[in-house]
Amino acid sequence: MLDHILSILIFFPALAAMLGFVVNKESMRSYGVAVATIEFFLALWLWFAFDANASGMQFMEHIALVPTFGINYIVGVDGISLFIIILAAFFTMIGIASLGETKDVKNMIITLLFLQMTMVGVFAALDAIVFYVFWELSLVPMLYIIGAWGGPLRIYASVKFFLYTFTGSLVMLVGMLFMAYFYYQATGQWSFAILDWYRLILPESFQPWLFVAFFIGFAIKVPMFPFHTWLPYAHGQAPTIGSVILAAILLKMGTYAFIRFSLPLFPDASVYFMYPIAVLAIIMIIYTAMVAYAQKDIKQVVAYSSVSHMGVIILGTFALNVEGISGSIFLMIAHGVVSGALFLLVGVIYDRRHTKLMSEFGGLASVMPRYATIFGLMLMASVGLPLTINFVGEFLSLLGFYKQSHILTLLAGTAIIVVAIYMLAAYKKMFFGVVTKEENRNLPDVNKRELIALIPLAVITVWLGIYPKPVLGPINTSVESVVQLMHEKAISQEAKTRIPNLDILINKTSAKEAH
Amino acid sequence: MEIGLNHYLVLSTILFAIGLVGVMRRKNLLMLFFATEILLNSVNISFAAISHYYGDLTGQMLAFFVIAIAASEVAVGLGLLIVWHKKHNNIDLDSMSTMRG
Amino acid sequence: MELFLYTALFSPLVGSLFAALFGASPKTKIAGIVPSILLGVSFLSSLILLVLVMVTGHTIHVEMMTWMATGDLYIPFGFVVDQVSVTMMIVVTLVSTVVHVYAIGYMDHDKGFNRFFSYLSAFVFSMMILVMSDNFAGLFIGWEGVGLCSWLLIGFWYHKESASWAANEAFIMNRIADLGMLIGIFLVYWNTGTLQYEEAFAAMPSLEHDVLTWMGIFLFIGAMGKSAQFPLHTWLADAMEGPTPVSALIHAATMVTAGVYLVVRANPLYDLIPNVGLFIASLGAFVALFAASMALVNRDMKRVIAYSTLSQLGYMFAAAGLGAYWVALFHLMAHAFFKALLFLGAGNVMHAMHDELDPFKMGGLGKVMKGTFIMMTVASVALAGIFPLAGFFSKDLILEVAFVEHHFIIYTVLLFTAGLTAFYSFRLVALIFHGEDRYKHFGIHPHEAYKFMLVAMSPLLVLAVIAGAFKMGYFNMVTDLLPATEYHVHSATTYWIMTIGTQLFVIAAIVFAYKKYTSKDIKVPDGTSKMENSFGYKLLINQYYIPYFYENYIVKAYRELSEVFWTKVDQKIVDATVDGIANVFYQTGEKTRVMQSGNLSTMLKWMVAGTVVLLSLAVVFGLAARHSGEIKTFLSGLGV
Repeated sequence: MLDHILSILIFFPALAAMLGFVVNKESMRSYGVAVATIEFFLALWLWFAFDANASGMQFMEHIALVPTFGINYIVGVDGISLFIIILAAFFTMIGIASLGETKDVKNMIITLLFLQMTMVGVFAALDAIVFYVFWELSLVPMLYIIGAWGGPLRIYASVKFFLYTFTGSLVMLVGMLFMAYFYYQATGQWSFAILDWYRLILPESFQPWLFVAFFIGFAIKVPMFPFHTWLPYAHGQAPTIGSVILAAILLKMGTYAFIRFSLPLFPDASVYFMYPIAVLAIIMIIYTAMVAYAQKDIKQVVAYSSVSHMGVIILGTFALNVEGISGSIFLMIAHGVVSGALFLLVGVIYDRRHTKLMSEFGGLASVMPRYATIFGLMLMASVGLPLTINFVGEFLSLLGFYKQSHILTLLAGTAIIVVAIYMLAAYKKMFFGVVTKEENRNLPDVNKRELIALIPLAVITVWLGIYPKPVLGPINTSVESVVQLMHEKAISQEAKTRIPNLDILINKTSAKEAH
Repeated sequence: MEIGLNHYLVLSTILFAIGLVGVMRRKNLLMLFFATEILLNSVNISFAAISHYYGDLTGQMLAFFVIAIAASEVAVGLGLLIVWHKKHNNIDLDSMSTMRG
Repeated sequence: MELFLYTALFSPLVGSLFAALFGASPKTKIAGIVPSILLGVSFLSSLILLVLVMVTGHTIHVEMMTWMATGDLYIPFGFVVDQVSVTMMIVVTLVSTVVHVYAIGYMDHDKGFNRFFSYLSAFVFSMMILVMSDNFAGLFIGWEGVGLCSWLLIGFWYHKESASWAANEAFIMNRIADLGMLIGIFLVYWNTGTLQYEEAFAAMPSLEHDVLTWMGIFLFIGAMGKSAQFPLHTWLADAMEGPTPVSALIHAATMVTAGVYLVVRANPLYDLIPNVGLFIASLGAFVALFAASMALVNRDMKRVIAYSTLSQLGYMFAAAGLGAYWVALFHLMAHAFFKALLFLGAGNVMHAMHDELDPFKMGGLGKVMKGTFIMMTVASVALAGIFPLAGFFSKDLILEVAFVEHHFIIYTVLLFTAGLTAFYSFRLVALIFHGEDRYKHFGIHPHEAYKFMLVAMSPLLVLAVIAGAFKMGYFNMVTDLLPATEYHVHSATTYWIMTIGTQLFVIAAIVFAYKKYTSKDIKVPDGTSKMENSFGYKLLINQYYIPYFYENYIVKAYRELSEVFWTKVDQKIVDATVDGIANVFYQTGEKTRVMQSGNLSTMLKWMVAGTVVLLSLAVVFGLAARHSGEIKTFLSGLGV
């Protein structure tokens, strides 16, 4: 079973979702929870069976699809993707478990399970075409979730979300086809396998073009400034569960893909574009943080804060050293947990008051003390307080980038200031002061169902903040091999010096020159 | 003056042009069918002529093929036309715009 | 050994968690008593550690577990008890034990009693991490932890707008400084390859001077935030919105001195960069004077004490900047005792006066509140630096340091500030405890605080009196770790002139303050007197218009810019561009849709047109392909 665990992880939810059509409405909720829990435990098993000291891919499966063109179903995990897969399973589980009163629960759960298939698929895929297929498929359930269960502007928001990201990924597809063509030119064989591509050293002159093609697809997904405007609409209109999954997992696809594709495939171009991207990341951090500060709707604050935090992740990724990349991967997990929790928390208050405007609240700390406490904890995690999960990632990302540029890190470091400004301002508006609105006076505190989701998140937030090693260890091992690979592949002197040489042996991925 | 390939081709072109104008200008469905027939037959002429010129029978065969298809097409078309006429009592093209995009 | 270390460190945490258990339930005394006892335990452990360190001279260093490890970076949770940290531990645990016990009485009627103790103990825990950590990252944990607790505690009465505003201000201002700190940490890591104090400091002498300078500057920026040095000082006065025990513990005795601790801890670094040290000393002297001047006229009892704290922090930085680290640490310790005492006394007065803070509305309270009166007077005498109280030994030493090091400007400024300190301290004492019973006009019936609160304060009273006696013993202990420079004025005559001169000057200031503010015609100022309309008074009462400047030119600008970014840039430019591109396609579709009119003959016309276009293209390309050679030569002839 362990040999096929990844395929099971990918397709079990989908199969269960199809079966879900025949399950009757009343038992759907428990069915969904059961499926997601099994999936989650499978994912945990994956972690348990995972060899933390091996840097290469594990649990690989290989099934030929179109061998003539080198399109194969290849899946595998390493330290980089492992935890995002677990996180995806985890969020689907608690998402379904804490699902509030929604119309058409059955379809919602089926959609979520399909979404889970695509999410796990993206992070496990090691073939560009398989990756692309899951990448695009993931749009469909999300489109459906926003379009069917969203707010008043849901059609606009969902179409915008779909078309925007879809356009970007088409450019990425072209890049992939070119990549495979280059591989064909170099070796005489077609291959879409990422591990094969890793071995290919592209001429310096081609790298920027391919880099940009991939970049557009990824940057829209992340979303990076100035491609971010679909996100506030999607979050604003999506139901709570949609926002949670979107922020926690779907956005991570972009940053994950940067590390999986852009860095190891185009080390020289990565160095070449490091500063422009860092500048974009800094604009993301500061600009969206300021926009978040101007928001009147708490959900928009959290949405823009996501963009701002993703800026730090991008920055860490393009630090191009172990500290920075490990930090950015850790921050992906951290941001998933924290922003997911924040969206859940916003959902809690929305369920009660059917408004997300901060001016409608005030003084909630005395009405809903438990809610205020958990919100406060997540807020502090978002602000990046040490001993919470976010700090580890943020600290490492910034630390890593400091090696590349002092002044840009100083600018990016303002993240810790601006995030405090908008988060504390929002918290103050909602929780402090006296209760002014009559309808807020008797709001019930968080109930058991909501706590099922929030307590584990709170525990993870603190646990991984104090003891990040179980996660950081495997990430570190895999990142080291990525960095070493990049160093070996780098052609220009600039790139050789920017990307540190770790002097470690990397298995199976020794570089080979393309002609 | 010997009648050569060019004459046939010129005739074919003229007929084709007439047919084309007919297709574009006619508002009566029946006339449209006639125009289509002219178009098809203009092509048939050039097929036959070129076939004769190269001494290759394939062209003439194709002409027969076209005639057969044209016949069946007209048969179906006329059938529809009659039904349409019975139903709406006219066969004016401008009145048929249910397929508006 | 390690047992004592862990007990000292973790008992506050246990206390905090214990109190947190009762967080949502109504007030229970036990939620206050248990954390206080645990803090007592922590204090005793620290005391044992102090004795051990003092007697044996050994330091204790433990590594609990790994925190972060990736690449070359390795950060453990490591703790060290050495001469410096044990001093801080004693100060922190002692003052916080006192404050905890005191707060049981002070917060007696508060709804958030349990919550308060949870926060307060959490603060102590963070502070212990800050001072005990053996690396910069651990320091940063404590650094941010105390920031968080300070946010929670300043905004403790969150229903008050001013309180939550002040809490946010404090947090954000500290964050600005923390960025500097973080950059400093990055610099240390990338240049020395480690964040452990010992190894990092050992690697520093071989680094370039520029790098060290930047390191020192950025770390000091961090210290400036926490210790509220100019220009990040405004939060401290506003932080007085918190409950008074909080002000005593956090904003007088412990947290605000963290910056001084950092500079003292990083003494090997600052020794290498005397220029930065001089800057620190100058800034310290400036802040001492600057803050003292604002304290002269303020009409809020707690704010006056806060400015006084700020001023004393300036003294500490002046000493630390001049390389007299042990003097700075000594003053830190002495200051913690008498300033906490002063604050707690002010808390008693506040309770008695039903949260009235304007000393002009008090007067004559000495008769009603004997205990508090004595304590505050002693604390003020200590603060003023009168022989033989604690302040004399520590503050006079700083003056001597400045003198011996030939920084006469700093010396003069500090000396003048000493006079101001005496003046505003006794202005406060005189207004509160002497003169006419002005409070009667406001219908208040003051009463003395609970007896046990006064008893709780007594250790501080004792220490404020006798702390000076520990000077030599302290010097011997702490100089195992810090540079052991003794500061002696060379000629005995000069020394005596200086000392006695200073004492006379200070006493003169006290007498002046008494004379001015015990008189019978002191009235509650109503903004009509000549002094109140003078420029100097306005400048001082408005804190040199700095908060006004921040509010109007920074906060407001930031808010407006944010608004512009959202409504103008994000919606009108970025998003509109995306929608614009989408609209181009949409409009094209909308326009070309009419082609599909459903009218057969129109469609046939389009078909014909299309055929013609395609045919012509075929012809054009066919010709172009046939004549490609000629076209190429033609184009190259044109220079394309």
